[in-house]
Amino acid sequence: MTRQEQGTVLFSALLALVGVGVVVQLWLLSASVDAIFRDDTVTPLHAAIGSVLLFLINAALLLYLFAFDARTRRS
Amino acid sequence: MVEDEKCKECAGCQKQTRWREDFPIPWEKDEYVSRREMVKFLSLGSLLIAGANLIAAAVPRVRRSDKFPRIRIAAAHDIPATGSLLFRYPTAEDPCILIRDRAGKALAYSQVCTHLSCSVVHRPEENTLFCPCHHGYFSVEEGRPKGGPPTRPLPQIKLEQIGDDLFAVGVKV
Repeated sequence: MTRQEQGTVLFSALLALVGVGVVVQLWLLSASVDAIFRDDTVTPLHAAIGSVLLFLINAALLLYLFAFDARTRRS
Repeated sequence: MVEDEKCKECAGCQKQTRWREDFPIPWEKDEYVSRREMVKFLSLGSLLIAGANLIAAAVPRVRRSDKFPRIRIAAAHDIPATGSLLFRYPTAEDPCILIRDRAGKALAYSQVCTHLSCSVVHRPEENTLFCPCHHGYFSVEEGRPKGGPPTRPLPQIKLEQIGDDLFAVGVKV
């Protein structure tokens, strides 16, 4: 398997992971809005913590992708 | 470059066609590039959603930090031992109910049922707050749902007694 083929598989996997993360974030956001409407202050806080964690995971995956790109270009 | 991709506007011109200039991505790399762009786009979306979630978490806290007024409800001896007293707090649109539990302690709750906003009433013989619309029951001690459709507790009104006077000083959701 060439490096580019490996990259394609890797990018597909990263895309799927980040996509799932974003869908979960959207679900957390809708749960937060629902909680706000029923005067619940705890749920939005927990949802925000979860959402930020998911963003950090997504950002880490994106950084890994950039690093992989840079390595591929160098080689 | 294949022949049909050259500009046909003038003979012998070596310029690329307009669409090729606008989309300079070869077919074989098209999928590869779009995947990468999609990951970047989703990551940016992830950042925006995380920001929206943080705002959603901050909004109720900022709203809640507005100070509740201190309003005199009644004299403590005005609350009947097995009855209830209605008042409005924190605004004139928020009906509340003041009751005594079996130990004689004064407690106050929002009168709005957390199911579909009907008014709850005190049932001292059952020691519950009862919603007649859909037969919801709440405990007198904590306002927690005991039966029926409601799943969330009634907001409790914080009380303060100074001398014989009872004051409402806040709302505990």
